[in-house]
Amino acid sequence: MNDTHAVISAFLDDEPFDAADLAAALGDPEGRALLIDLVALRHIAQPDDMINAAQTRTARAVWRPLLATAAMLMALAGGYFIGERQGATTTVSAPAPTRVIEANAWQPVPPGGGR
Amino acid sequence: MRADAEALYNANHRGLFRYLCRAVGHVETARDLTQDVFVRVSRSVIPAAPEGALRGWLFQIARNLALDHHRSGQRRPAIEPLTDTAVRPAPQETSVEVNAALAALADVDRDVFLMREVAGLGYDEIASACGLTPDAVRSRIHRARLQLRERLSGQIAERRMTPMRRSGRNG
Repeated sequence: MNDTHAVISAFLDDEPFDAADLAAALGDPEGRALLIDLVALRHIAQPDDMINAAQTRTARAVWRPLLATAAMLMALAGGYFIGERQGATTTVSAPAPTRVIEANAWQPVPPGGGR
Repeated sequence: MRADAEALYNANHRGLFRYLCRAVGHVETARDLTQDVFVRVSRSVIPAAPEGALRGWLFQIARNLALDHHRSGQRRPAIEPLTDTAVRPAPQETSVEVNAALAALADVDRDVFLMREVAGLGYDEIASACGLTPDAVRSRIHRARLQLRERLSGQIAERRMTPMRRSGRNG
């Protein structure tokens, strides 16, 4: 790559350039490849990816505590409702007796247990 | 902020921020330095000069702040940015490689390249910001481009596969 290709930079930058020099530079396949590469370089030099990534990180940083709080509240609410449901199952009436034991008539017991 | 400083801010803060993003390689630092530029502007007497020269003056302040930032970074241990490498998308990897390639350039070459490509300054404005002649700016920009082309050949080849605009804008 020689210095005559500097005219391609001037052309890209909308700076004054000599038309004959540009024609000569673009007449060379290397000059044409350089022109395309410099446009591609211009694209990848833009900081948009950095800025977008930083914004995503900031948004994540804002949402993270909110999501953690929401998850904790959901867990508490879920625990409460599960507890409620289990409480309801324990208050169901007792099953019907299969054997009925009848107590005899009460007999008075002397003080000291009759010993 | 004074009215003249505010007008300068409105016209230039985006370009300054974009230039500083690449110059320091860190978005939050660039945001802070952009604010610092305008703090300095609001405390100074704004020179009575044409718009181009004023832009050059602003970018000269920004450049000095970026250079100070680099110098202070050399005295202190480097702080690793908190990035989740496991989920880092491909464009960000390219961005890291671009930052590394830019960091390998001479300070002046990097700055003239960024002022042109990222902030959109003309050669006269860059010459005023960096204390060079427009001809020196022209040759330094071209030299920086050739060096970056070599270092970033893989990324450039990849970018060539997708449609492009001459301006470099993606939108």
